[in-house]
Amino acid sequence: MKKLKIKVLTIVIFLLSSIIVGAQEIPNPMSPPRLVNDFAGFLSSNETASLEQQLRQFNNETSTQIVIVIVKSLDGADKAMYATELAEKWGIGQKGKDNGLLILVKPNYNNEKGEVFIATGYGLEGVVPDAIAKRIVENEILPNFKQGRNYQGLQAAVNTLMSLTKGEFTADEYRKKTKRQSGRSLFPIFFILFIIIISSIGGGRRGRHHTVGGSLPFWIAMGMMGSGSRGSSGSFGNFSSGGGGFGGFGGGSFGGGGAGGSW
Amino acid sequence: MKKSWIVLIVIAVVVIISYSYVKGVYNKMVLLDENVSASWAQVENVYQRRADLIPNLVATVKGYASHEKETLTQVIEARAKATSVNITPANLNAASIQQFQQAQAGLSSALSKLMVVVERYPELKANQNFLELQAQLEGTENRIAVERKKFNQSAQGYNTYIRFFPKNMFANMFGFEKKAYFEAEKGAEKVPKVEF
Repeated sequence: MKKLKIKVLTIVIFLLSSIIVGAQEIPNPMSPPRLVNDFAGFLSSNETASLEQQLRQFNNETSTQIVIVIVKSLDGADKAMYATELAEKWGIGQKGKDNGLLILVKPNYNNEKGEVFIATGYGLEGVVPDAIAKRIVENEILPNFKQGRNYQGLQAAVNTLMSLTKGEFTADEYRKKTKRQSGRSLFPIFFILFIIIISSIGGGRRGRHHTVGGSLPFWIAMGMMGSGSRGSSGSFGNFSSGGGGFGGFGGGSFGGGGAGGSW
Repeated sequence: MKKSWIVLIVIAVVVIISYSYVKGVYNKMVLLDENVSASWAQVENVYQRRADLIPNLVATVKGYASHEKETLTQVIEARAKATSVNITPANLNAASIQQFQQAQAGLSSALSKLMVVVERYPELKANQNFLELQAQLEGTENRIAVERKKFNQSAQGYNTYIRFFPKNMFANMFGFEKKAYFEAEKGAEKVPKVEF
């Protein structure tokens, strides 16, 4: 019964939030998951494989995920918002570390302006500030893209981003950074009991909630048997699995940091 | 004798079940409420980040465009007004959010005016310091949009939870109130388009 309610609730929240998120279609990651997702045929297969291999290795060494996504169209969305939403939806970077980077490219097909945006996860805003991201776009990506050297532009950006983020996160660093997240779980039973009593007394005084006020001894008795409780706490699954080269995205979060440009 | 034991056991079971249900609901409400507070803190954070950029920006622009005093003063005044409105999560309601939003909108429009004025100064636009400030400002506007959206999402998660039957009765009893949202702007505070 309760489970069903929670399920219904999650579905409702999910549906509503997807309305809020916006109308534009964010593509799903390619399957099996990979770090270079070229939906627009922007790179040759050799180039894709080369970048993929470097990014995988970097991910395995540092857990920092640099992802390249090339889409045909932004569906009229602002590139910064599109990039942030895509990165957040895919969960680039590790949960808790938020060490994801997304290079989003929309090629200049059909005489449309080409767009590029580097989105930085919360955890990397310090090492890749917006001004630096802007410089990478202006000095390394765009000059190459303008001359049709797609691979070289991305390669240069990836190199710079790797050298900036190298050493920012290691396994030890991770442990330190996640430590401060614990500490909210213990909620003493007495406190709840206290609130219940207070509110039931209050309710009684106002002449409302008669049943609650009347059952006051029950609540007290119940407090004595307090150990029989099983609170339900929802936790969201973290889907990261091992595997050959790349296990998948880790659920990192993005806050809109980064910079972009167009050509 | 036997009968009263059965009655007691039944009562005990009912009490334990309802207790753990109420406890679960209450804790979940607290959790969601905390979520909303945390995302509000993030919203204030990014607005503060914008406010922090302004003194530097004004100083840089002044160096090149000193006779745009009026526009610069407007920005400084709007910044002062915007930073004076602070809302603690405890008094997050529609009125206070709107007040906050209005003050920030004033700053947004002053800033976009400044960015238009700046167009007339090619030397300023070539200044490295200015370019970096501009990139930071753009990034901050993105962050504001993102954190506002995240705030609305967490407020919505909370509101949906506390308004579902029968949780709404407990929400009422424990004093969990509906949270207000950030309303979409009426075009007045569109993210200033900073094109150069």
